[in-house]
Amino acid sequence: MSVADGARDWFAELTRAEQGVVGFIVALTALLLFGLVTGGLAPTYFLYLVGLVGMYVLLSFGLNVQWGYTGLINFSVAAFFGIGAYGTALLTAGNSPVGADGWQFSLAGVELVWVSGARLYGLLPLTVLGLLFAVALAAAVAFAIGIPTLRLRADYLAIASLGLAEVVRLLFLNQRDVTNGSAGLRGLPGFFDGWPVLGTLPQTLPGVQVHELQLGIPGLFTTRVLGFTLGAPFWQALLNVALVLAMVAAVFAVLRRVHRSPWGRVLRTIRSDEDLAEALGKDTYAFKMQSFVLGSVIMALAGVFYAHLNLFVSPGDLEPINTFYVWIAVILGGSGSNRGAIFGGFVVIAIREGTRFLGEVLPASFPLDLPLVTSTYATIVNNFASTRLLAVGVLIILVMRFRPQGVLPPQRELIWPASVAASAGPGETTPRETIDEETTATATATDPEAEPEVDDAARDGGESDE
Amino acid sequence: MSETTPDLYDGPNLDKDDVVLRVDELRKRFGGLVATDDASFAVERGTVTGLIGPNGAGKSTIFNLVSGFYEPDGGSVAVNGVDVTGAEPHEIADEGLIRTFQTPRKLEGMTVREAMLVGPQRQPGESFVKLFTSPGEVEAAETRNMEDAQRMLEQFEIDHLATQPATDLSGGQLKLVELARAMLAEPELLMLDEPVAGVNPTLANKLRDHIARLNGEGVTLCIIEHDMEFIMNLADPIIVLDQGSVLVEGTPDAVRSDDRVIDAYLGGPGE
Repeated sequence: MSVADGARDWFAELTRAEQGVVGFIVALTALLLFGLVTGGLAPTYFLYLVGLVGMYVLLSFGLNVQWGYTGLINFSVAAFFGIGAYGTALLTAGNSPVGADGWQFSLAGVELVWVSGARLYGLLPLTVLGLLFAVALAAAVAFAIGIPTLRLRADYLAIASLGLAEVVRLLFLNQRDVTNGSAGLRGLPGFFDGWPVLGTLPQTLPGVQVHELQLGIPGLFTTRVLGFTLGAPFWQALLNVALVLAMVAAVFAVLRRVHRSPWGRVLRTIRSDEDLAEALGKDTYAFKMQSFVLGSVIMALAGVFYAHLNLFVSPGDLEPINTFYVWIAVILGGSGSNRGAIFGGFVVIAIREGTRFLGEVLPASFPLDLPLVTSTYATIVNNFASTRLLAVGVLIILVMRFRPQGVLPPQRELIWPASVAASAGPGETTPRETIDEETTATATATDPEAEPEVDDAARDGGESDE
Repeated sequence: MSETTPDLYDGPNLDKDDVVLRVDELRKRFGGLVATDDASFAVERGTVTGLIGPNGAGKSTIFNLVSGFYEPDGGSVAVNGVDVTGAEPHEIADEGLIRTFQTPRKLEGMTVREAMLVGPQRQPGESFVKLFTSPGEVEAAETRNMEDAQRMLEQFEIDHLATQPATDLSGGQLKLVELARAMLAEPELLMLDEPVAGVNPTLANKLRDHIARLNGEGVTLCIIEHDMEFIMNLADPIIVLDQGSVLVEGTPDAVRSDDRVIDAYLGGPGE
């Protein structure tokens, strides 16, 4: 009847995991809104966090294409992220030794390339050039590393990518003539600087003053809420969020299309059984290469966004820990699931940034003096950076133990819906029909014990006989 | 013509009219062990050719050499007259030779019909670019393949499993799915690796009927099998391998009663 009923029906249709995720999102949104209203969370910082979430979602998308779809173990997520960030920063950063500003190439009197004032030919914004360069660079590196490793078994790519991550980081650190070394590249323009309209939008939009309100029940308590000004930095941050959302939406649309296509089906076959894919005439090397390059390009996109969000990149951004955060996001969300990658990106930022707040909110020492508890508490609260890693580790163990397929595993059958509808067979399956959560869990757990089920085969075979 | 040919050949019968698969002096060694020792044989179009031999005779090695999973040390393999020696498995599949595996491969996270849809060859939707440049063509092909898959499942009497997760099937059902999927690839030659290994007799009979039906529809098959009863009732000719090369080739009856074959098996086949 009403909207509330519709929402309730929709909620009841969801699987239990989906309901949990919806609950998580609602709770998180409520918490963030509470923070915004009470002033605990500055709006601009909030948007920065949203931007980071978007960045992690992009990284998770990229790794999901490689690991989730195809089963490629890539430990150089941070490297491709860094290649993206450096790719654009090298061209656009103010202190870049090889910055593109002022480039002029002419051949026989004809000007071929001319960059001036952050524009190419006075038309194309330089950041677009940076984006294209970053993407091309990531694709080239992915292709180069793929040639020797993708013909081999999966483990070789894992080792090679682990090495690649360090090689790329050390290159950026030590090639000072090109990358400015450990000082990093600073003075990057915002992504939309030099764009028509969008470039100056944050400055032209009016500042909004949100007045402080006093709330409370007289005599009991009063509290002050709101009371902040939304100026140019806020609009700038909003523009960045719009950029990352656009990137996420575009990548999601592409991935959704390819995941449920025959192309994606071949990738999933390779993940399950590469020999089978080969035996059925699929050129697995070519498919793995496409998947690897696509994933790497998506990671580079995240890097490009980060560079123009942070306006500073340094070799520190390529630390291996970032790779493992992305792995956690993908495994937690559910390998092979695009929705899962989005959720995983959220959770990782919630842990990374949320624990920061927790450290400030919690009292420095335990209120009661208990023998073991007090000292443990002090250790945890005073070493929050390490505690965060511990929390991440515990979380991943819990997920592996109780839900190895991730929180939101791919559930629906991945066939193009129009083709399902058009063919004479059974219609589209509901998620529950396709994958019953309990049976999947047991099926994966008892995989090697397939043989005892032969009796069932006889029964089934017999049934259709009569 | 069959009256003039002998029932049993010493070594392979290479003098066949319409050959789909020709294997010539194929050789493979693993370290000091010669697994395949100058094996030669030919598979004639329209036949069900059985490939038998005692344990360690090199059946599986030959299978893997022919289908491209192993690189031969010498000799040649030709499918439909095209030399595919040392080619990648997918290139050999491209020539029309489709193989199955002894232990059925499960496709995690796929329903049966999804797993079936991996079978068809040269799908336009397998090109990343075409997904975006010609979506209509992709969709039409996908619909066609869906219908083919459904029809194939019906022929194998497993259409009730279409939307089941592929991981939930029993070993025997998986064998049927694998056979049905291989048929979607429209093979010139279907090579089955022990199709009834680990399958109960009832289902083995069903599989036998299905294979005979496929052969009746014009599919050429080459089958490795341990189960003598099964293969003798299905295949003709039978090629007997021993110590990496072809011992004899002939009709099931002739092979069954040949002393050399019985010697190779140390005690005789079947019993």
